[in-house]
Amino acid sequence: MVKQLKAIRDEVVVSMTASTKTDDQARAFGGRPVVEVAGVDKVYGNGTVALKEVNLTVGEGEFVSLLGPSGCGKSTLLRVMAGLGEASSGTVKWWEQDYQVVGQKGRKLAFVFQNATLMPWARVRKNVRLPLDLAHEHGEASEARIDQALEMVGLSKFGNAYPRELSGGMQMRASIARAMVTEPNLLLMDEPFGALDEMTRNRLNDDVLRLWKEKGWTVVFVTHSVYEAVYLSNRVVVMAARPGRVVEDVRIDAPYPRGAEFRVSTEFANYCRRVSLALEKASAQGEEDH
Amino acid sequence: MKQPLLQNERFVQIAAPLFVGVVFLCFWELAVRAAELPVYILPGPVAIAKSFVTDWAVLFHSLMMTLKVTLLAFVIAVVLGTAASLLFVQSRWIEVSLFPYAVLMQVTPIVAIAPLIIIWVKDTTWALTVCAVIIAIFPIISNTTLGLRSVDPNLMSMFRMYRTGRWQQLIRLRIPSALPYFFGGMRISTGLALIGAVVAEFVAGTGGSQAGLAYLILQAGYNLNIPRMFAALGLITVTGILLFALMVWLSDRVLRNWHESALKVEQ
Repeated sequence: MVKQLKAIRDEVVVSMTASTKTDDQARAFGGRPVVEVAGVDKVYGNGTVALKEVNLTVGEGEFVSLLGPSGCGKSTLLRVMAGLGEASSGTVKWWEQDYQVVGQKGRKLAFVFQNATLMPWARVRKNVRLPLDLAHEHGEASEARIDQALEMVGLSKFGNAYPRELSGGMQMRASIARAMVTEPNLLLMDEPFGALDEMTRNRLNDDVLRLWKEKGWTVVFVTHSVYEAVYLSNRVVVMAARPGRVVEDVRIDAPYPRGAEFRVSTEFANYCRRVSLALEKASAQGEEDH
Repeated sequence: MKQPLLQNERFVQIAAPLFVGVVFLCFWELAVRAAELPVYILPGPVAIAKSFVTDWAVLFHSLMMTLKVTLLAFVIAVVLGTAASLLFVQSRWIEVSLFPYAVLMQVTPIVAIAPLIIIWVKDTTWALTVCAVIIAIFPIISNTTLGLRSVDPNLMSMFRMYRTGRWQQLIRLRIPSALPYFFGGMRISTGLALIGAVVAEFVAGTGGSQAGLAYLILQAGYNLNIPRMFAALGLITVTGILLFALMVWLSDRVLRNWHESALKVEQ
């Protein structure tokens, strides 16, 4: 009975999302907005429309996944949210202000790239401390933070190793430790585990969820895996390609912590089915438009 | 357990070419003796070795002169070349405006401009050095510029995200990324510095106490002292090989912890 009610409520949420503006929706989901993307277009020099009329608001403490086929502009959107690429039109706000606010206390942003993106010439510890070095933060407090970050990703013993001596999964952990060391409030992750095997990926997913809870991060996570998106997020934003746009915003209402049981539950399967359908519909639309 | 000698990678790497060399020298000596060639046409290895011993004083003195010019030119080429690359990566405009002239310098035959330089620069050592720098500098400039630009774009994005200044980007990111390319440039450049020093001396043809190996070769040619000519030539070759080996060693030492070029492939 409860399940049925829940299912009905989810349906309502989905249909609401489809019809109402996403930023209103976000306020209902999370706390105060951390990033707000409003009417953003991104057109490249060669005329490719990477993003068209994208509206998305991520509230404090949310774990939002951007899901879509390749070429739907999800990475572009993430880069716009990181301030790495400017929008052609529309506005982006961070903590309800402009980009200048990013980096101040309580408003820190970190980015995890598709590849580990470590400096091959520097030892793991040196890599992890890079953001602190760049911010000229030295001293015992920062050393302690590096230690803590390495410990949280399970690399305490590998501080003196060079990146090439680590496996792909461990390199990715080092990359996450580097993002953590600044104590970010907003963590943007661009398909961070795409290149890893499934077992490593599952383990890292659990690590990220644990840290998200512990640290109170707001996370935006780009992926092309339906399962990963559903498992991790409390909100899955489905995007379509050509031009890149948001087509659905699905709330995943399962409680945390989510473990192995969640992966095999009917609830999980139902969410996956719904997200998959949305994705298929989005792809079909893209094909037609093309 | 003791490894059979022929399966020892290092041993084979040294022994195999050495074996070929010894066979070649034996064949050379035998051929010269069989054909009864006079030493002023083609001396055998034994005659050349004798010349090494008897002429060692003059050979060594010339070697030092040539080596001085080579090393001086190499150091100047590295310093100026690196400085030029650092300048080039500061702006596309600078690179676009100046790079063609670096190429121009590279493609102009040194033999053709050496006489001019020798007229302009009074001091012989410096005149030769300038010639050697002109041909040794290009690989440094082109390789280092390429290296300074070959930065992982994501790492660069990260530096930008933390609002890092140009200087920090250069020190922490561009220079380390450029090191493998830089060392590649140095390997080529040492050989070119040596060739430049020798070629310039051929053109200059200056003797006296400043005489280097090239002048020794010229002089030996006039006197039909062919064994000494070969001995001088041998010294130039050995010097070139040693300088190259030194560069390989240096690059391996610096890059061994991280760069693919310096890693041993495990079978």
